[in-house]
Amino acid sequence: MSSSHAAAVPADGIATYDPAVDAPAPHAPVYDYDSGPPVDRGKFAMWLFLATEVMFFTGLIGTYIVLRMGTPAWPNPENRLAVDITAANTFLLITSSWTMVRALQAIQNGDKKGLVRWLFGTIVGGTIFVSVQVYEYAELIRHGSTPDVDIFWSTFYAMTGFHGLHVVVGVIWLVCVWVSALRGSCTADSHLRIELAGLYWHFVDLVWVLLFTIVYLM
Amino acid sequence: MSGEHASFSSNKIFLTLFILTAVEVGWSLVFSDWGPLVKWGGLLVFAVWKGVLIYSYFMHMKFEGWIIKGLLAPTPFLIAIVLCAVMPDVSYNERLDWDVGAQLDKSGRADGHVVRTLDLYDSAHGGHGDDGHAEDGHAEGGGGH
Repeated sequence: MSSSHAAAVPADGIATYDPAVDAPAPHAPVYDYDSGPPVDRGKFAMWLFLATEVMFFTGLIGTYIVLRMGTPAWPNPENRLAVDITAANTFLLITSSWTMVRALQAIQNGDKKGLVRWLFGTIVGGTIFVSVQVYEYAELIRHGSTPDVDIFWSTFYAMTGFHGLHVVVGVIWLVCVWVSALRGSCTADSHLRIELAGLYWHFVDLVWVLLFTIVYLM
Repeated sequence: MSGEHASFSSNKIFLTLFILTAVEVGWSLVFSDWGPLVKWGGLLVFAVWKGVLIYSYFMHMKFEGWIIKGLLAPTPFLIAIVLCAVMPDVSYNERLDWDVGAQLDKSGRADGHVVRTLDLYDSAHGGHGDDGHAEDGHAEGGGGH
């Protein structure tokens, strides 16, 4: 007890509670080891999230299998969908995945300008992909091909729609990361946000690779 | 994506993905009239091939440690369980009989019957012609609903 505190003791000898002196020591345990798994928490959580996303799309594809195999006459997608345009869109999404890899490689080498440039390319690619999909939807709906027409269109809109929603989320996420990169908050030693956004974006690309084959080509 | 110890040529992977996509689209056109074993089998091989490349290299799974790999290890088994769970429905599909044009009869064009083929749909939507998988030329015939 300090001398100044001792001076505050009243004449009756009963001291008032002074949190600076009398508060108990914090009970938070202090480990001399890392209590978590020896990987980055953010990356661990991201992969766990992606595992749940895998199961989400597995449910959609499983439903599609049941409906398609249970349908006596399933239309040839080539006769209903613009496969050529969507193939070009697939090339675009794969390209945006590659630019995302280049963005990460750039910041790992300390190239902040390269990071901003490649991230911007990824955002542009994702935006064009979504725009083409919206255009495709508008054209289909304009010709009467709405989700309630038949099961082909129901499954088509369900699967591509949910994927498109993921692309939109990815683009928004990338824009946020791009803004932080513009501010110079990413360095060669601290670029976890780029890695996590990249993981999500590659996952979106991976899902589309499968969906394009199943929905448009098979 | 622990890039510190990931060493691969992203350009080569990108080029491979590009070529595989082109081949895949070409495959679907060239073998469009072939049976599902050839057409679908080939397409699935290309799709899985591309998926593995993205998963292994772009997502850096090939370079991750055992914890991340272990975290994802149950996923293939869970996928297998889900797909196996839907197999009974696929095997007994005559009980489902989800007609692709089943909802067309709501408009009255099918005279109250469930449409069994796509002819009616196509004639009402610009006449795409044969959809390839249509069973026969009848435009009605009481589905299994």
